[in-house]
Parts: sequence; structure tokens; C-alpha cells
Amino acid sequence: MKNFYALGLLVIALLALYLANTLEWPQRITGTRINPLPALIVCAAMRAPVVALTLLAVLGSLWQTSLSADPPGISMIPLFAVGVAVSLNRRAIHTRLWGARFAVSATAGALVPLVTVGLLMLLGRQPLLGWFSFWQLAVMSLTSGLLALIFFPLLEWLDQAVEDQPFAAPYDTTTRINRNPY
Amino acid sequence: MNLRPYVYATGFVLGLATVLLALSPRSSGQVKLVAGSFFVPLYSAEAGLQSVRNYAANKTATREKLLDQNERLALTNKVLRIQIQQLRAAAEENETLRAQVAFAATNQWKLRLGQVIGRDPANWWRTLQINLGSRHGVREGLPVLTPDGLVGRVHEVHPHRSRVALIGDPACRLSINVQPSRENGILTADGATVFDHTIVNLKFLPAHTEARTGDPVVTSGLGRLFPRGIPVGKLISVEPAPGALNSQARVKLAVDSSRLNEVWIILP
Repeated sequence: MKNFYALGLLVIALLALYLANTLEWPQRITGTRINPLPALIVCAAMRAPVVALTLLAVLGSLWQTSLSADPPGISMIPLFAVGVAVSLNRRAIHTRLWGARFAVSATAGALVPLVTVGLLMLLGRQPLLGWFSFWQLAVMSLTSGLLALIFFPLLEWLDQAVEDQPFAAPYDTTTRINRNPY
Repeated sequence: MNLRPYVYATGFVLGLATVLLALSPRSSGQVKLVAGSFFVPLYSAEAGLQSVRNYAANKTATREKLLDQNERLALTNKVLRIQIQQLRAAAEENETLRAQVAFAATNQWKLRLGQVIGRDPANWWRTLQINLGSRHGVREGLPVLTPDGLVGRVHEVHPHRSRVALIGDPACRLSINVQPSRENGILTADGATVFDHTIVNLKFLPAHTEARTGDPVVTSGLGRLFPRGIPVGKLISVEPAPGALNSQARVKLAVDSSRLNEVWIILP
């Protein structure tokens, strides 16, 4: 059933990228394009196996760059690095706390574009950068944190929806546990 | 924790990224084409929804509104027909004079209307995608414009869609002419602000420039990439630099690319 989860994750990534590409109002309000992938990979890293994480980083990056003037797969490494870092430390992150979800995803939302721009410059490209880039970075970070608050419950629901459901309870539900009877 | 899957996955991603970043521009375009094909059903669904919405809007428009629109269009049509007559006479006169001084004849523009289907998701490029590609005769470098002025040039061509580099993108530097003073300069990629992408810097004007705020700016035709005389915008500030080799200015573009839905391409 983890295959269905990975498939669902990729469908969500595709739809999120499509919406980010076609919706105009976020850019009109903030002057910045929204990138949904950092938030999505943080949320996925909390639950998904490493294969699903890799697929999301590879395909998400390829899909995103197919809509952009970026070279194909430029954001693959930063996305995967963020996903692995969160996945390896998933027990140390209190994902039940909204603040923790927001903080981790906001950090990813700032790191991924920063590393991507760094890679672009290493490749000899000349991305448009200026003082406005700091504002754009702040907005990307903030929106990534906010998107995580949507993606976390969505992926929890997806995980529960596709997991194996037992036909009957696998344990004796009639047994009562008496704690500290004295 | 078993780290072996992470090690394998890291090796795979690093290897794939290295291969992808080392691809030639042609191969990169093919990879993008394949990856972009996943969005085709979504774009088709959007186009279908749009046509349904247009159909519903046409069916529900009131007769009064349609008559009013019709009247306004008829009036505009009359004005434009008179202007065409004037321009046709001027064009004939121009052709006669060109023939007399043995100038090369100018070609008529072959225009094709395209729809904007997406914008660059990266904040560090200024490009948009249109629904015309090599199957429609589009080639790399063709000028893209609207009735208000120049938009940019075709930067990347796929069979059914193309990417247009907008003025202000590093891939679309262009030579311009400031109208009354006839001075040439280069529009560069810097100068835009967060909320106003319609401001760009104009560099390499003469040091003792005669350009003034409000002067119109058009394409110079130098380099033969863009035809001469397409409106680009107007000057909003000029910074003369008497001691320097050249001076610079700021230009407010005629077209706000963030609100574009349709563009025209000049086909060869």
C-alpha cells in the first residue's frame, strides 16, 4: 500500500506545481512565485519511505523545471537533501506541533531556492538577483511554512486512506488492563 | 536505523543530477518536453473549462449589453478603417521613395495569435509559456508583441508550446532607440522591483544624452532580431553622466507582462 501512498504523493506534487504555475493572484499580492515542493518534501519525509522521497525529489524537480527556464533537474539535489535530512531526524521533530511543522518547512522553503540559485551560478547562468530577492526569499519561506500546515493533514489522510485495514481486530479487545489497582 | 537505502538513493540522485546538468541544450529541451508532457491533461482540462465558461458567458449575455458592445466595435472599426487608408497611402509613398533611393523593400509582418498558458515558476527568470510551437511555424528568436508594444522574444521551442523570454530577462537584452533624440541604448535585465516588473534599466546612452523623461522608446532594428520601431515603453528617469563614457536611464515598459493572456508572434 506504500506504492499507492507514493503515487498519491506524486499526484499531489503534480497538481500543486500546476496550480503554482497557473494561479496569478499569489504573485500579484506578494510579487513572488510560490514553490510548493519544499513544503511537500518535508511533509513526505515524515512518513514516506526513502524510495517515495527520491521519486518526489526527482520527478518534482523535473516537472518544475519543465515549466521553467531552469536547466532540467536543477532543484533535485537541494530537494532530496532536505528530504533526507528531515527523514533521518524525523523522531526528533515534534510533528504534532503546528509550530514545528511551520518552522521546519519554512527553513526548507528558504534553503531549497538558495541552493538552487547557488547551483545555477556555479553552472554559469545569470539569474535575476537583487535586493528584491531577499523579499522573495522571505515570502517563499513563509508560504512554504504555511503550505506545510495544509500538506501535513492531507498526507496523513492519504496515508490512512491507503494503509491496510485488518478485517478484524488482531488482538483481544475484551481484555481489561487495570493500572495501579492498589 | 538502516542507512543503506539512503546511501543508494543519494548515489542515484547525485548521478542523475550530474547527468542532467551536463546535457546539451538540445537534450535538455527533450528532457523538459518529456517531463512537461505530464501537464498536458491538466492544460487540456483547463482549456476545456475555459471554452465551457465562454459558452456559458455568451449564452447568458443580455441583448442590451451585446448591442452596446456591437455599437462600440462598429465605431472603432470605422476609425480604424480610416486610419488604414491613411497608412496605406503612407506605405505606398514609402515604397515609392524606397525604390527611388534603392533601399531594400520591407516585408509585411505575418502575425500569429498565441495564448499564454503559464509563467515561470522560478522567481529568478522572467519567462512565460505560449500554446504555439514548432508545429505552428514558431522558431527561436522570433519577436513577441501585443498591440501596446514589445513583450519579448521566443527563447525555447517545443512542438506544441514555446517559452518567451520577456523584456527584463537575461535572455532578452535588446537594442533600443529613444525617439526624439534618436539615441541608441541597450535594455538590460536589472532595474525591476518586487511589485513592478515593468521597470528596466537602459544603459549605454551617450554621456551627454539629450533624452528626457517621458520620451518614447522603440526597438532600433540593430542586430535584425527585432523589426525597427516597435514601441517598448517610455523613459521615467534619465541620469546624465558628463564625466563618464555613457549614461543610463530607467524605462517603464509599455506592456505589463503579468497581466497578459494573449500575445502575437511575428512569423518569418
